[in-house]
Amino acid sequence: MKSQRFGYPNLGLGVGLRTTHFSYILQNQPAVDWFEIISENFMDSGGRPRYVLEQIAERYPVVMHGVSLSIGSSDPLNLEYLHKLRSLADHVRARWVSDHLCWTGVCGLNAHDLLPIPLNEDTLKHVVRRIRTVQEILERPLVLENPSSYVTFADSTMSEWEFLTRMAEDADCGLLLDVNNVYVSSVNHDFDPIEFVRSVPHRRVVQCHLAGHTPCGTHRIDTHDREVIDPVWQLYRRAHQLTGGMATLLEWDANIPAFPVVHAEVLKARHYMNAQLGAQPVVRHTGPEPRAGTPTVFHPLAHTVVQVA
Amino acid sequence: MSPPRELSQVQRWMQAVITHPGGVVPGIASSQARAQLDVSGDRVEMVITRSRAQTAIERLEIYAKAYYARLLECLRAEFPVLVHAMGADLFDEFAVGYLERYPSHSYTLNHLGANFAQYLEETRPEPRTSAPEWPEFLVDLARLEWAFSEVFDGPGAENEPLLDPAELRAIPPERWPDVRLKPVPCLRTLALRFPVNRYYRAVRRKRAARPAAPAETFLAVTRRDYVVRHYELTRSQHALLSAVVSGANVAEAIAAAADLAGGRGGALARWIGEWFRRWAAQGFFLAAELPT
Repeated sequence: MKSQRFGYPNLGLGVGLRTTHFSYILQNQPAVDWFEIISENFMDSGGRPRYVLEQIAERYPVVMHGVSLSIGSSDPLNLEYLHKLRSLADHVRARWVSDHLCWTGVCGLNAHDLLPIPLNEDTLKHVVRRIRTVQEILERPLVLENPSSYVTFADSTMSEWEFLTRMAEDADCGLLLDVNNVYVSSVNHDFDPIEFVRSVPHRRVVQCHLAGHTPCGTHRIDTHDREVIDPVWQLYRRAHQLTGGMATLLEWDANIPAFPVVHAEVLKARHYMNAQLGAQPVVRHTGPEPRAGTPTVFHPLAHTVVQVA
Repeated sequence: MSPPRELSQVQRWMQAVITHPGGVVPGIASSQARAQLDVSGDRVEMVITRSRAQTAIERLEIYAKAYYARLLECLRAEFPVLVHAMGADLFDEFAVGYLERYPSHSYTLNHLGANFAQYLEETRPEPRTSAPEWPEFLVDLARLEWAFSEVFDGPGAENEPLLDPAELRAIPPERWPDVRLKPVPCLRTLALRFPVNRYYRAVRRKRAARPAAPAETFLAVTRRDYVVRHYELTRSQHALLSAVVSGANVAEAIAAAADLAGGRGGALARWIGEWFRRWAAQGFFLAAELPT
């Protein structure tokens, strides 16, 4: 990597584009810095989703975030998918293209989930090889996100941050640091979230994700259905300090409030950017569990909503 | 020390475990899982480690529950009126069976419901009479909602000029048989056994909706200004328009419709000019093409 973040700009504070906000955004053109789209919801669209995206891409920077690349799968890469991804990226002038360090299925099946991989030398080589192929097809650096996860493998021989660091260096790719996922996984897998944030290669962190999640007693689930909690903001503050600032995006995928509420949530990041960066520790959230109950689906994936006259 | 496991083994094992409809424990015991990693439930921590708070099985259950929950949520969103007609519990029961038989093989969730109407047809109980019954109502409703989804997000003609009905008036009568009407790419025709379109409309408008008696129902479904629109057709109109959509010229389309109408092509010919003009006004066509 020649320059920090491959020369990708810090786009500021963005919001994940969701169907429910289409009309509001077109009518009001809110002063949001940028939008991130779920790539798969637009790749084949010939209808309103694509039409709305084209209008938004004329006014705002757009970043593409995928959920089906399946970079960690033992199945072959889907070349048709990759070419469509490339085509959409060119069409909407995507500032960059991201997905997750995960697999979504094998034997041709798509579980539509972001499943973790064993973290060891073999899987590292496998993933690095595939990232290189993807980057050749996309003709741009790929940006990969740390997913929230709920299991770890007996076959793992390294931490997630060590894997991400070596992967990013060996494949020369970017990272999307999801600080909510760091926090959720840290609770689920008993590790220190600060060590994670401190250890990833900060020059490669192109983007940051923020989201809310659901505490479930023994574990936490990444539900994207509520506000960001304070310990996650504290991780964000630390990440902002260590990276020198990065494009930041809020994901809200279930119980989605009106657009101004979602936008206001990401704007809270300003407070954490400007706050004094002292030695305040990131503490585990020990208060009463907010709105715990039956967890909704974790990492819900945006889905097209049909309009019929 | 056991030999190192291949990534593909671990992934096939985990997929078999978390997608098993009976849950994680039956999933671990299933032949599909054991063909990859032959571990019993009490030795699963040889594959998945426990956390301080959860056992390996509890951790796997998070993925197993999410697999069906997520996909059911998508199917419910894809078929909201079918959910209303069937009731949520029965819908979910069919949806789980559907996901077992037709799991997603696509990178997008937008294709998830593609075979649902077919699945309902395949699992239909033995009919008691030759007349269409409740299962046919549900199959028709599933077909309608899927057609709406396809038309909504498929290719359309919003950026193309449509055929002006006035252009049809300008075609000399003797040239009509050779005319090919080029349909907009989003135009579909449907032949149904129940008027599910009326039921659909009533449910979406939150009016009292009761499934109607069986009645042959023919529809044109299209999209204008990115909104799906549907129109009732007669049997003859359906035959004519279906032939046009599949590429027939007007003479061929009339012949197809006349076959259905008992050879009364002459009677049809009196009406088709008006039908085509009306359909043109509804935005069904891009152009009227004549051979040079």
